[in-house]
Amino acid sequence: MKKIIRDTCILASIMILTVFAISILWSGITGEILLVFELFGLSFLLTVVIHAFDSMVSLPILYCYFVKYLLVTCVVLVFGFIVGWFYRSNFWMVFLYVAIVFAAAYLLDMLVTQRDVEYINERLKERERADSTSVDKSDRSVV
Amino acid sequence: MRIITRKVENQPLTIIVEYPELDCATQRILGRIEHLETSFVGRSEERSARISVSEIYYFETVDRKVFLYTKDEIYRFDGSMAQIEEALEHTELVRVSRTCIMNTEHLKEIRQIKNSHLEAVLDNEEKIIVSRKYLPDIKKLFTSSR
Repeated sequence: MKKIIRDTCILASIMILTVFAISILWSGITGEILLVFELFGLSFLLTVVIHAFDSMVSLPILYCYFVKYLLVTCVVLVFGFIVGWFYRSNFWMVFLYVAIVFAAAYLLDMLVTQRDVEYINERLKERERADSTSVDKSDRSVV
Repeated sequence: MRIITRKVENQPLTIIVEYPELDCATQRILGRIEHLETSFVGRSEERSARISVSEIYYFETVDRKVFLYTKDEIYRFDGSMAQIEEALEHTELVRVSRTCIMNTEHLKEIRQIKNSHLEAVLDNEEKIIVSRKYLPDIKKLFTSSR
């Protein structure tokens, strides 16, 4: 299921980029097209920043999310000001938008981790049962 | 499980494994056989010792030095974590944090502790901190597709 969702997202991204790239040839760069490319640019930038953060820093989960939240908010703020998404009067909305995304991501992360831990512990119990059965049933002979 | 041994002269040691289906238990046995001859040389203050993969509980880096832990001994290992990872590909050993490679053969349980931390409890009751980032890699070792 996870693979299907991931592949769907990748396919949708390729379709959006292709359709909008072709649209540029017909109608030039409109506001909507520019927004889509800006969003892709921001996504790329955030992915690189988060990847670099994950490979360099190892923190407890709550601190990790907090630092990532600040980092992502800064990137979105700077990017948003450069491309003209925000004004001085409404920049605080960035904190709200990013907080909502992070809360959802944190909850999802907790659920996935809980499920993975249960899965591993279940396999460990099965292994223990299998090992004890193998020992009981082993029958050694020399030909 | 049946264990049959027979003497065949002028032949190298040959192990044939017959199985009804290639399940997790069989794959673990095959993994152990394949790495029977893999070992690491560890140094303690008085001596050097050759330690087989199945005896290793975990490797840990402390101040850029690599230490090898068995059930109740600690050895200094002259090598890097990257070299260990390369040598132990397709074994039961897996990286569980930036500083630790654990042998899941000795893993008893994984627990979620306060602050959403994870810890692995080994069969000698020793506890190791597990980074959530590496949890999918540990899970992969226990999936039947392996």
